[in-house]
Amino acid sequence: MTDVMETSCDGVLLQPLRPGDAGAMSTTTLPHTPSPLGSDTGAAVRLNELRRTYGTGADAYEAVRGLDLEVERGSVLALLGVNGAGKTSTLEVVEGLAPATSGSVEVLGLDPVEDRAAVRRRTGVLLQHSGFAADLTVTETVELWAGLVTDARPVEEALAEVDLGGRADVAVRDLSGGEQRRLDLACSLLGRPELVMLDEPTTGLDPESRRRVWALLQRLRDAGTTILLTTHYLEEAEVLADRIAIMAAGRVVREGTPDELAASLPATISFTTPRGPDGPVVVPPLGAGRRTDRDRTVVETDDLQVTLTSLLTWAAHEGIRLEALDARQATLESVFLDVARVAADAGETHPSTYPASQPEDLR
Amino acid sequence: MTTDTLSPRTTPTPPTPPSSRPSTSPWRDGVRRTRALSGANVRLMRRNRLTTLYAFVVPLTPLVLIAFADGSTAAAAAGAGSVLLLALVFPVYYTVLSMLVTRRDELVLKRLRTGEVRDREVVASLALPGTVVAAVVMAVAVAIGLPTGLPFPTNLPLYVVTVLAGAGMFTAFALWTASFTRTAENAQITSMPVILLASAGTLAPSLPDRAAEVLSWTPMAALDTLQRVAWFGLDTDGGSVGFAGSWAEAGQPLVVLAVWSVLAVDLARRTMRWEPRS
Ligand SMILES: Nc1ncnc2c1ncn2[C@@H]1O[C@H](COP(=O)(O)OP(=O)(O)OP(=O)(O)O)[C@@H](O)[C@H]1O
Ligand SMILES: [Mg+2]
Repeated sequence: MTDVMETSCDGVLLQPLRPGDAGAMSTTTLPHTPSPLGSDTGAAVRLNELRRTYGTGADAYEAVRGLDLEVERGSVLALLGVNGAGKTSTLEVVEGLAPATSGSVEVLGLDPVEDRAAVRRRTGVLLQHSGFAADLTVTETVELWAGLVTDARPVEEALAEVDLGGRADVAVRDLSGGEQRRLDLACSLLGRPELVMLDEPTTGLDPESRRRVWALLQRLRDAGTTILLTTHYLEEAEVLADRIAIMAAGRVVREGTPDELAASLPATISFTTPRGPDGPVVVPPLGAGRRTDRDRTVVETDDLQVTLTSLLTWAAHEGIRLEALDARQATLESVFLDVARVAADAGETHPSTYPASQPEDLR
Repeated sequence: MTTDTLSPRTTPTPPTPPSSRPSTSPWRDGVRRTRALSGANVRLMRRNRLTTLYAFVVPLTPLVLIAFADGSTAAAAAGAGSVLLLALVFPVYYTVLSMLVTRRDELVLKRLRTGEVRDREVVASLALPGTVVAAVVMAVAVAIGLPTGLPFPTNLPLYVVTVLAGAGMFTAFALWTASFTRTAENAQITSMPVILLASAGTLAPSLPDRAAEVLSWTPMAALDTLQRVAWFGLDTDGGSVGFAGSWAEAGQPLVVLAVWSVLAVDLARRTMRWEPRS
């Protein structure tokens, strides 16, 4: 999270629209000719106007509705969103498990369906739900996967990395849910992938195992691996991700570094509303939003320092003591909840009405 | 217990850049993957009591029919039909069906399909163990028959083709059956139509002409005719033919087999599901 300091924080980052992309609706407009090996440069994943529809006719349901996303090589991108936002549906297209209904998909400069063999050798996938033959042991499972990837890492090394060395001879059916998850992760990483796609890698893990997986993913990233993951743990996104994309109703509606996202909502200052001889004291406007919440006054501001200074100056001047004073930046959680609330308000009936860009009135 | 395995931390090896990934032949890779998966499937078959019974024990039982045929070609030919029927229905058809449904239920198939392995390799690895069992059983049948005076197959290539083509067709039937089989237990019921169709076919030689005529168009009847002519040089009227004549006799049943195979493969392709119905 230190590197965000260098990034300018002005404005809210939205979908990375490139010049000339505005309004481009079809895949065919991309002048990309993949080389057989794919390129070593450029974004690791590039999705453009991606759509994915389940079923046909009256039963058709569009789970991904024009999604744009880019994952830089060597970076970690966390995809967030409420249940049903379309994270898994999107990942499955990137993984090459399902074709896009429309839009373009580029993985390591290649098409995951057309260039399947080349892409699969260089990517590692962890599905939301693990899939194991219950009767095989841990070692047998990893050995099987070692036989399925080109140039596999040693089995013991892969197991040690996810702390399963001591469970090597246990049948998969006897593993705990968290152990199965880590076994699955070991299989995903067996072929030294350049890009890994992890759908809720730490769901079901205890806090200790989760932190170990975080450490593992950080080491992978430090070694140069690109990671695209989904999670419902906002702390996980904050700890791991260089960039975070929040999905709602099949689209990315917020995108940026964790700090940029937090800066997209106003900071809040709150304190117990002071009482003078004539009742509650009303705070002057201070150039920021102001409301009362039961016995507290809440001030919202885009510039915490300036507003806080004016508030404190005013209080000192008036000789007022601000009890239980609290000043805080918006958190990723508040951004997430804001997205979820707006999406819910837009309603299931008109999901496409979700504002694709940040409302201007926050400025 | 785990703490000692944790430290020192292994540093993950950096991802292999595309330029230094070993170049291998797609064909060799495919064989390697199919072998790895088949090996795991054999292991899983042996760990499940029912699959062990169906895949390795049941197909051996009708071999007594060959042993007790006492060198009689007619009795042995009828027995060999049962040997072939059981060798294809249980190790191949039923085993592929139940393994496919189980692996699908466990989400193993979906997980496999995220990796390098191809769909056809997954299917091949399910069918291979049973096909090998069927081939071995048919070879053992010949070996048992020789000392009792039964002939060595008149047309060995045709004999081999019969077993392999039969295994291929029953694999396709298994893939199709899996599309309407929800669980492995369910397979006991959903497999009945194909098993009945197959069993009916072997009755053809012992039925009146009209019924035999109709039944001769079923897949198992074609396979039975083929094994009779390939092993014993018997034509459909009970006469005997040599190597050259056996090819001519094989024409009609081979066409029947091909038609059923095309139908089965087409059904399988159109209905194949890789993950449980949501
Ligand atoms: N096979 C399917 N057929 C029809 N609709 C589906 C199918 N799979 C998913 N959907 C629908 O698509 C939408 C997006 O689902 P998806 O699994 O991508 O969400 P998600 O963001 O991964 O959610 P979660 O956080 O719960 O995993 C949901 O409304 C879901 O009901
Ligand atoms: Mg999901």
